[in-house]
Amino acid sequence: MSDEPGRILVLTVPDWPAVAAAVEHDIAPGRPVAVLHAGKVIAANASARAAGITAGNNKRAVGYRCPEAHVALWDEEADNRHFSAGVGALEDLVARFTLLSPGTLAIPLDSLRHGYADEADAVETLVSALVDDTGWEFFPGIADTVFAAVLAAGQARRVEPGQTVDFLSAQPITTLEYAGAEATALIEVFLQLGLRALGDFARLAAKDVNARFGAFGRHLHDLASGREGAPLTDHVRGEQLDVELDLDTPTTRSDPLGFLARQLGADLLAKVRRQGLVCTQITIELDAAAGQSSSRTWRIEDMQENAIADRLRWQAEGWLAGVSTGAENSEPRQNPGSRHNSGSGRSTRPGHAPLSAQADPQALDIVDEPAPDAEDFAEDGIIALRLIAAELTTPIGATRSLFDENTGQITHTLERLQGLFGPDAVLVPGLQGGWDPAETNLWTPWQQAAVPERSPAAPWPGALHAPRPTTVEHSAVDVLAADGSSVEARPSGLEAAPATIRFPTGQTETITDYSGSWPIESGWWDPSRAVYRTRLQVVTDAGRALLLSKEHGQWYLTGRYR
Amino acid sequence: MDVMSAAPVIEQLSREAGISTAAALFDKTPPHPVDPVLSPLFRRGGLPRGELVTVTGELSLSCGLATVAAATREQKWCAGIGLDEPSVSSIADLGVDLDHFVNLATPGEDWLRVASILIESFDIILVDPGFAPSASERARLLAKIRERRMSLISLRPLSGSTEQIEITDTRWSGAEHGRGRLQSCLVRARSQTGTHRFLLPGPSGTPTSVPAGTLEVVAGGDSAGTFAEASDISDTAVEAAGVPAEDAGAADDPRWSTITALRQVISHVG
Repeated sequence: MSDEPGRILVLTVPDWPAVAAAVEHDIAPGRPVAVLHAGKVIAANASARAAGITAGNNKRAVGYRCPEAHVALWDEEADNRHFSAGVGALEDLVARFTLLSPGTLAIPLDSLRHGYADEADAVETLVSALVDDTGWEFFPGIADTVFAAVLAAGQARRVEPGQTVDFLSAQPITTLEYAGAEATALIEVFLQLGLRALGDFARLAAKDVNARFGAFGRHLHDLASGREGAPLTDHVRGEQLDVELDLDTPTTRSDPLGFLARQLGADLLAKVRRQGLVCTQITIELDAAAGQSSSRTWRIEDMQENAIADRLRWQAEGWLAGVSTGAENSEPRQNPGSRHNSGSGRSTRPGHAPLSAQADPQALDIVDEPAPDAEDFAEDGIIALRLIAAELTTPIGATRSLFDENTGQITHTLERLQGLFGPDAVLVPGLQGGWDPAETNLWTPWQQAAVPERSPAAPWPGALHAPRPTTVEHSAVDVLAADGSSVEARPSGLEAAPATIRFPTGQTETITDYSGSWPIESGWWDPSRAVYRTRLQVVTDAGRALLLSKEHGQWYLTGRYR
Repeated sequence: MDVMSAAPVIEQLSREAGISTAAALFDKTPPHPVDPVLSPLFRRGGLPRGELVTVTGELSLSCGLATVAAATREQKWCAGIGLDEPSVSSIADLGVDLDHFVNLATPGEDWLRVASILIESFDIILVDPGFAPSASERARLLAKIRERRMSLISLRPLSGSTEQIEITDTRWSGAEHGRGRLQSCLVRARSQTGTHRFLLPGPSGTPTSVPAGTLEVVAGGDSAGTFAEASDISDTAVEAAGVPAEDAGAADDPRWSTITALRQVISHVG
């Protein structure tokens, strides 16, 4: 075994998205599979490639070249899920490894030094164990840095110790795509500068690269010249720790539930402790006798059975109260954010809320509660409790930051308020994807895990720029032209100049200035997600600025500049 | 004791020595830092600690959030009470550190109770009170604020405040009658230190000072239509800052007056 400390073994499954799609859709091995993302093939398995399908083909080209190919849409979640399930075999063989991306994992070779005679022996043992267990094909690659090892794995080769810089310098510059989507633009620039191989780029002086391309360019330069960045974080054993309790008789009372939860919580924490780990987030699932279930994830700084019992009691009370009164939506004033968090809590329901749910008055009711019939629910109550350790870390990883001031007191105060006014009364801000402030708002109850419904990384063309309204609301208003008729909006603009705005209270204000209207058209390919909306900013004679939007033929007041 | 005779003395003390309450004589705490554009609004150049500050008028919420922004970036915790549903993107635009901001979605009737719990550990509370507290409640609130050395910003006039910032005039620009979109708002704010003009929000969302040479239409009365040069940023010829009337500006909110009246009746009966 080599004495080089930094040797890294990378195992990669070629065409992982295609393999994952085959597992997901239960497709027989050998049948051609192509995975599409944004209309283009991003991965194809060996038999599909043999038929002439390459990355970048569109769907029609796939059908033309290989009619029997199975075409699947890219599913990032399935990619991750199948891979982390598949590499379970590795947990028993090696002490430390890291999942780099779905389909690729890294193992520091020094962790294998004591178990195997040399690198080749180690690789053979690990690969055959993985292949026996999963049936997937793994390509190994060994080099001195992670980046080089990933490239080596693509070619299934071993780079001799000390040869990594030479190996890297011969690779084409496009391999820097490994660093992420931001690298694409820089690669273009490098090509225009005549830097075709990593070696050309690595020969530039580091300080020049830093001056011209900033920190990210510097990072790419480090990759290209074989300097290792931050050490990899170890994979934490992905075992699911959970405890379950079925009640003999269903109950709606929260005190016995809290009492049971305390015992159950103690069981779970004991189980976690036996693994030498610490639990920082817990998922509480409640099942009702009628078959509904409620699931929420809580982050608890000081995890104890009493804290778990409190959370479970709050969750049960909130759920039962929400079901029996159906009041959740009738008082939006008291519950801002609750409708944005429907994904994280309340009741589980299949599918996702429609994108336009926020702006659509009919959809508002659907988003929150597929409420069961109040009466039978109250009669039956909760029949089963389940606690799942949602985030496990090593004890050192759970300690608080030294530099934050009085977080302990803050936590205590906010927990007290949650106890008095319910968990949804204390909300912390977050941002998610969306066009309007009402959609980008992600208010999450204190110490619950935020569940964004829309990706902030996705592009949101037509999103509102600063200055943005300070409060959001959603009430129907009338926008009238000078002749008293309602102002119509077309994608090309407004039909008439808005002159007056009438609020739901009947009060009217004169519009003194108004912006251009700008439309959003999105999701037209899918009727359930289609959004047609026109936005307009107006200033009234009271000096007030408002954000309005028109959807389904109705104007809404969606934000106030307060 | 005649309150009116004490007011000028307090005024003079705070202007000269930065001492606004008796407690400040014994232990002078530096104020929380605020954005440089907003700091001339405050007598001591920052958000005073241990005191009640009111920010009223149109755009008061933006002004309040912009005031707390610099402190949250220095790890100070800020809570909002009774703000309806603020938009997170604008909070971030105004420079508030989202990791140190919490919004309380509690009923307006409970604001005093919530505030009294939060005072224990929070550095700044931004509140739109649901009702006017009675005199004894107010005294206890002020005593607690002073004791904890925290800052309470009310978005409605409350007596007992040491600094009052009132936004008297707002002028949005950029909409251009259908040809543009809102860019910035020129606000005129009156405080204990005089009248100030700045852009809130400015083109990037944060408060910005008025670019030199901006012309402004002087509002109201016979001088309407004449132009004034914007260089006189703080014309100190302001009327002596008296304590604003308790219900001023609140008359338009039926909820506020109903709850306040109801509580008075209950306290008489009890």
